[in-house]
Amino acid sequence: MNDKSNVHQARSCPGQLSRRSVLKSAVALTAAAALPFPKARASTTIRWWSTQSSPEQLAAYRYQIKTFEAAHPGVEVVFERTSDEGYATQLAAAFAGGNVPNIVTHLPSFAVADYWSAGLLLPFDDVIAEVGTDNFYEGANRIYEIEPGTHAAAGIGNTAANMLWMRTDRMEKAGIERLPATWDELRAACSKMQGRGIYGAPLPYAKNSMTTLVIIGFIHQAGGQILSPDLEVAIVSDEAVNALEFYRSMREFSPPGATNYSWGESLSAFVSGATATGLYAGRVLINVSKQNPRIAEHITCATYPTISADVPPWTFNDFPSVFIPADAADLDITKKFAAWLYRADGYIQQVNATPGHVLPVLKTIARHEAYRDNDIIRRYATEVERMSSAAVAGHNLGWETPHHRANVKAGAIINSGILAEMVQRVVLNDEKPRAVLANTAGRIEKIMKG
Amino acid sequence: MTGKPISKKRLSLDARYSILGAMLIAPTIIVFSAVIVYPLVSAIYLSVFSIYTPTMEGEWAGLDNYSRLLASGEFWRSLLNNIVWTAGTLTLQMVFGVLVALMLHQNVVFRSLARSLVLFPYFLSAVVAVLVWRWLFNDLYGVLSHMLMWAGLIDMPVDWLGSMPNAMISLIFVGAWKYFPFVVIAVLARLQSIPDELYEAATIDGAGRLARFTDITLPQLKDVLIVIVLLRTIWDFKEFDLIYLLTGGGPIISTQTLPLMVYKEAFALNQMGGASAVAVIMMLIMLIFMTFYLRKARD
Repeated sequence: MNDKSNVHQARSCPGQLSRRSVLKSAVALTAAAALPFPKARASTTIRWWSTQSSPEQLAAYRYQIKTFEAAHPGVEVVFERTSDEGYATQLAAAFAGGNVPNIVTHLPSFAVADYWSAGLLLPFDDVIAEVGTDNFYEGANRIYEIEPGTHAAAGIGNTAANMLWMRTDRMEKAGIERLPATWDELRAACSKMQGRGIYGAPLPYAKNSMTTLVIIGFIHQAGGQILSPDLEVAIVSDEAVNALEFYRSMREFSPPGATNYSWGESLSAFVSGATATGLYAGRVLINVSKQNPRIAEHITCATYPTISADVPPWTFNDFPSVFIPADAADLDITKKFAAWLYRADGYIQQVNATPGHVLPVLKTIARHEAYRDNDIIRRYATEVERMSSAAVAGHNLGWETPHHRANVKAGAIINSGILAEMVQRVVLNDEKPRAVLANTAGRIEKIMKG
Repeated sequence: MTGKPISKKRLSLDARYSILGAMLIAPTIIVFSAVIVYPLVSAIYLSVFSIYTPTMEGEWAGLDNYSRLLASGEFWRSLLNNIVWTAGTLTLQMVFGVLVALMLHQNVVFRSLARSLVLFPYFLSAVVAVLVWRWLFNDLYGVLSHMLMWAGLIDMPVDWLGSMPNAMISLIFVGAWKYFPFVVIAVLARLQSIPDELYEAATIDGAGRLARFTDITLPQLKDVLIVIVLLRTIWDFKEFDLIYLLTGGGPIISTQTLPLMVYKEAFALNQMGGASAVAVIMMLIMLIFMTFYLRKARD
């Protein structure tokens, strides 16, 4: 038999596929795949963005999503991560491209103000009413009432972002009896505790949101402010000079790479034991418990020191929010999902995923037995109480003091990196604080007017 | 009687060919317009407006964005950084690339394995490469500082990415590590096509190793090296991810290049018009290199 007859036989042999039939099948399969078959999947998809996405938090989100999907057949909720450093750019692109998520959680309140003022958000009052207006702590949503009578968002938690964390074992060894309350005390403590591979403090000196947040805190802890209550630029002051000088003086206690530190690096430095103090929110508790339990018995926190005992502490509360972009699809079901996030079972899981980090904003939850029945909350009851009190009294650049008007340009100022750059110029370039402040004031002025 | 129908038939055939030709080229034109012409025209159009990125709404600004840019120190500093980065990393890429290619052209043990491994950095995603390097550079856990301290060269960890000139030097080095395999591939391919007879003749004439390299290898590599330099200049000039992920343009704006400035204007400051103006200027600069490249390619 020659080759041709073999081919012929193969073609005609029953049970064997010819090339033509394979091609036909391939074409048919391709066409079939392209056909709009009725969807076996959900008909409505809700996209949920959040900056908070540790494994424990993701587990809590999965529970909230699963229960919501079970109660609302045909709805699928897709969680998508964003980050503290990345949300501004990602959301700007999403808004510009008209491809917005349905719901965004855990963004700071000043970001909400920025988007609201540009007409990009849906009023959130329906959701607040659904959750129970009176159930929120007094004033918890005041920061979102940018226009009287309408809320741009609601709080989904409180966070005391700039707590001072201390290693009590190192304090003992260094002969430090009490937590530092003033900058001089903090410097002295860092100086005593630094050595043998341990640094004093993981303060960031990079051009990012953490450095920005820290300097805003320092200026207030020096008794100054960025903007006046009427939102006039007020950063050029002796207090701001003192804050910059203090920031510069702390450089010797920070690891060399702190010039590139953001939240993650700063947290890791304290949790790993590389620094004797830390500046962070409550996430320290779970990270120490899981990643470095050796020091779990030896950590505590306090509000960050101020320039002197006369100046009260100033805590940076992000006021983690939840909001709905105005251009989001399926608004009714999205609102239902937003309210679902506050249901006791899921909400408690969510806040207890990082105990003490995102503190509850609902009275019923704070009192709830399931919330309090948590190892870390019990073990660090004093620290959680300190953070809660600090967060409730906290502010941020969107609302610097109770006397300030809401600053809808706060997000733009923070995202511009102007304040972090100011720190770098003084600390890394060794420029004169007052000259740098004057330049910074001009740049902030431009943003405020823009 | 028969002339007209024949003529008609010919015309209709021509017309049919024309239509067929247009149809065949149409997909290319459509794709080209969608991915090149539209973004290009769009960038130029946006650059003469003052536009708030999230809403993409704004007003006519004329040439204000350009005049503001050209008057700002930040733009010129970013351009200077861009030139330093491009020149630095390109030089290292060329030196490493040619050296490694020459080495891999020899009959060395495990040559095939070495040729495969040398491509590894080029195929690695920029994000993964940066993560690895950030760990190496880390002040607390990084192996680089630890090794230097162990060798007694330094007392304290070095701030590789947060201070100048370390940050720029680190960037240039990582860039060279990531992209030198491209030079290796191109040079190695050319080396393999240089006739052995040239070397044999030179050896008979008494030429040493260096003379053979300078008089035969380099002239033979000249054309391919010029093309590599032009291509890599264009690619390095517009590099974004590696720089953004490693230093973010810091400290202050010491490593901020023009692509990072575009990103900052567009998404941090929400000034899409300003960002587009920087992008257009970048395009004009790259156009110079592209013209050289196209001329070279035509030759």
